[in-house]
Amino acid sequence: MSKPKSKSRRKFLIKAGIGTGLLFGTVYCIPIRRKIAEQVNVAESPYLGSTDDPKIWFEVTPDNQIIFHSPKMEMGQGVFTGLAQIAADELEIGIEQIKVVHASTELGNIDPFATGGSTSINSLWQPLRELAATMRVMLINAAADQLGVAASGLSALNGVISGSGKSITYGEVAAAVTEWEVPDTPELKDPKTYKYIGKPTPRVDLMDKVTGAPIYGMDAEMPGMLYGSVVRPSGLDSKFTAVDTTLAEGMPGVVKVIVEDDFVGVVADSYVNAENAKQKIKVTWELNKKWDDFDVEEAIKVGKGHPIEIQKEGSAEKLLEDGAEGLIQSEYFSPIGAHAQIEPNGCLAFVEEDKITIKMSTQVAEITRKEVAKRMGMDKDEVIIKPTFLGGGFGRRLHTPNAIQAAVMSKAVGKPVKCFFTRKEEFQNDSFRPPTHNVLKGKLTADGKIEAISHDISSGDVMHGSPLLPGILQKIIGADLGAWRGGMIQYHGIPNYRAVSWRVKLPFATSWWRSLGLLANTFAIESFMDELAEKAGKDPVSFRLDHLTETKADIRLAKVIAKAAEVAGYRNEATGDRAMGFACSTDVNTPCAHVAEVSIVDGEIKVHKVTCVMDPGLVINPDQVRAQCEGSIIMGMSAVLYEKMNVKNNALYPVIYGAYEMALMKDAPKEINVVLLENSDYPGGVGEPPLGPIGAAIANAVYRLTGKRVRRIPLRA
Amino acid sequence: MTRHLLVLLPFIALITLATEPPPPAPFDTMMEVLTHKRCMNCHPSGDKPRQGEDSHLHNFNVQRGPANHGVVAVQCGSCHQSENNSYSGVPGAPHWALAPKTMAWEGLSRAEIARMMLDPEKNGGKSLEEIVTHMTEDELVLWAFEPGVDGEGQPREKPPVSEADFKAAVIAWAEAGAVIPDK
Amino acid sequence: MPTNFNLNGQQATTEADPNSPLLWVIRDELGLKGTKFGCGKAACGACTLHVDGKAVRSCSYPVKFIEGKEVTTIEGLGTPDNLHPVQQAWKEEIVPQCGYCQPGFMMATAAMLKEIPEPTDEDIDNNIVNVCRCGTYYRMRKAIHRASQLSK
Repeated sequence: MSKPKSKSRRKFLIKAGIGTGLLFGTVYCIPIRRKIAEQVNVAESPYLGSTDDPKIWFEVTPDNQIIFHSPKMEMGQGVFTGLAQIAADELEIGIEQIKVVHASTELGNIDPFATGGSTSINSLWQPLRELAATMRVMLINAAADQLGVAASGLSALNGVISGSGKSITYGEVAAAVTEWEVPDTPELKDPKTYKYIGKPTPRVDLMDKVTGAPIYGMDAEMPGMLYGSVVRPSGLDSKFTAVDTTLAEGMPGVVKVIVEDDFVGVVADSYVNAENAKQKIKVTWELNKKWDDFDVEEAIKVGKGHPIEIQKEGSAEKLLEDGAEGLIQSEYFSPIGAHAQIEPNGCLAFVEEDKITIKMSTQVAEITRKEVAKRMGMDKDEVIIKPTFLGGGFGRRLHTPNAIQAAVMSKAVGKPVKCFFTRKEEFQNDSFRPPTHNVLKGKLTADGKIEAISHDISSGDVMHGSPLLPGILQKIIGADLGAWRGGMIQYHGIPNYRAVSWRVKLPFATSWWRSLGLLANTFAIESFMDELAEKAGKDPVSFRLDHLTETKADIRLAKVIAKAAEVAGYRNEATGDRAMGFACSTDVNTPCAHVAEVSIVDGEIKVHKVTCVMDPGLVINPDQVRAQCEGSIIMGMSAVLYEKMNVKNNALYPVIYGAYEMALMKDAPKEINVVLLENSDYPGGVGEPPLGPIGAAIANAVYRLTGKRVRRIPLRA
Repeated sequence: MTRHLLVLLPFIALITLATEPPPPAPFDTMMEVLTHKRCMNCHPSGDKPRQGEDSHLHNFNVQRGPANHGVVAVQCGSCHQSENNSYSGVPGAPHWALAPKTMAWEGLSRAEIARMMLDPEKNGGKSLEEIVTHMTEDELVLWAFEPGVDGEGQPREKPPVSEADFKAAVIAWAEAGAVIPDK
Repeated sequence: MPTNFNLNGQQATTEADPNSPLLWVIRDELGLKGTKFGCGKAACGACTLHVDGKAVRSCSYPVKFIEGKEVTTIEGLGTPDNLHPVQQAWKEEIVPQCGYCQPGFMMATAAMLKEIPEPTDEDIDNNIVNVCRCGTYYRMRKAIHRASQLSK
């Protein structure tokens, strides 16, 4: 389809949220920061890209297919399918007639933010329906012109427009259009008439993925492509001071060795030759302080970093002073976690005189584009990012310095260069999930209710230092909202509560890891809730319900709690060699509760069954929401039972799967029962909320079995 | 400085001579190798091989399987080929496999290992001569002396005895009647 | 010296260094991208293919050993028009999420089903030891049982 200019442009309303309305005004005083913090927890995420022009989202082909150029990346979360369902309904076209592709940045359909944070469906729900409905009207209007009938007499079904005894396909209409007119946003469909929204729909990428189609960044090719490899440090916080490339230059297949201020790379005619040559490059690294596990654990302790109060109600601080009567206190630890996505980070770049073309797996096409443009001294419009499917994202691809490296090497050799991390480099140069230390304090009333509770979260950076949020916003927000995610007290019926986020700088990159702080913070809070329930002599489920209020968010959480207990047949005592553990949390507007059924086999914790009840609001694709719950449960279980990076002699270990222990087939629960509630007519986040409660659900079950409270991840019986 | 050292040399040599312990018996030399992790890792008592310098259970729940070659979709040969692989760091040698369960050495004393080795009921019906041949010629046994590099490209630890000394010790021990010391 | 072998039913030849991992010959030289690179250390299983019908991790398999052998990759297991029962089952159970590790899992499963047509859960636990980060194990187990049914 040619790209005729549109006559009129109209704006869709962009909702205020983080990044826009909320943050205007330089608000440094603490109470306002707290307000921001609280808002961030419940606000709907806005879509920050342009939604002006439907025809750059939907390309109509002559054979009556619609190519949907998605600004959101498909990294496994099923977003292509969910978005296709939404679009198909408003476009009045069969879902099999839609082909979803990643929008190339040259098209202009760019998401300036990122794919992540469980925001894709949530943020595009309104604008995408409006875009699709508008496109439908554009097609009908054009058909009316072409057929010489009134548009009001035409209607669309399955990509065919008919009325007044005539019919024409979308494909035929589009082929004859030279100039599109963009009308005002039409009325959206009555939810009762949805054909795809809310229905379990097979993933649109299934065939590609079961036949091994070359859809990932790693699979990308360009004619004349060479292979690059970059020397990456094993040590923490190390900068290279000297380099000797003599041996590498003489290695077979080597085209060029490239020495820049910030990296050294080699380009060769094959991957193997590039890697072999890299081994021969001698780099001298300058180290700062030497770090070991002990140093990290000391650095991360509550009290060491910089504190910001993120939540305050009543006088929890005073009631929970050191030495206060009846004070109950526990501390929890979580380790450094690796992303360990199976497709290594990589990039294929081709630098030409007037443009740079990049094919890669990225969660941040626009940031990648800007960073590459800046480094290469070009305009960002001269950098074209063609995103590919991601072989796992999980936050790992929110930083893409590898794109710069590939571009620099391509320019040096004048050919396309593909370059990617080795697995060891992935494990040692990841942007890790930061280690955490959580201190919970509480006090009960005489009748066994919580009088006061406080949560101190100490963590390495997540949001701070990330290119995703500009420094000014980080200053305004103050506390690291990534680190404290899931760290607020969600039981608003407690009269006195408080949460404090402590920021600690660590000597290695820590950043976004699926669900961010939620995994560790919910583990701490929900373990502590069980500890308090026991001290109060209450059942953990009713104890939780006792501390919720009548606000909308609390009611939704209460419904999820009650349903999970009912469906799982929650029991407070072990049955035979098995016991159940309960935990819940609300994240990105989505409350979720898990009941884990656990036993101890040969001293190891075995999870047999997980019942998951989640209320993500309006569900677009129940099957894929379930898939996200199953995947989150297994990934979360893997993180809390097995995974741990260690700092030894200033380097991070292990450097390979297996040694970095993760859940395998044998470890996954044989039964996962997901029940979805829909107590909101707006779709909330899905890809992360079910990670939250899994750690505490398992730890609480282990306590029932052993009488031993496990407060350290990875959990050991 | 150098002259001083030269003057001292004969004394150093004398001291060395005087303090050198008697050479170990061939049995002990042989056992230094057999009880080394390069051998023991694949002579486990259970149904899982061990690996690495710390002899941890083989990652990924790798199993002995019905014929000591792993299970059908995870055979030893799925990853281990007939020679060491310096790209992946996966070790290899011909007929890479676990020792049969009758040759489970883990947790046994040196004497117990030797008795097991000489027992035709357990060693696959081998005579002493065949055992000697096996230990001095079998490529999988001798892999212990050329164990290659690990996944990080670091050389694997070799047994504390050289291949030649090991072979000589095995032959000497057998020729002297394959006596198993009482200890 | 060229190495000759059979790749998905067709003669293939490579001039690659005899020690080159088979994975890269198949991906970069012969252009079949379905066999994935995950770790290069025979740990994750993403590069699993069949050599003479048996599951092999191709990142740790020097090309010199492939002479005269038969290699099957995911592209040779089945095609969109003619899916192998394992692929069909994967599709019916909607297993893949990111999908990157899935060819390796399907190849391992196909190798298992040849020898164990009706695997128990324990067979599956012992034989399928690849790594999936998205956590699709739960659906994979269902798909393996379904593939067993479809193969009958």
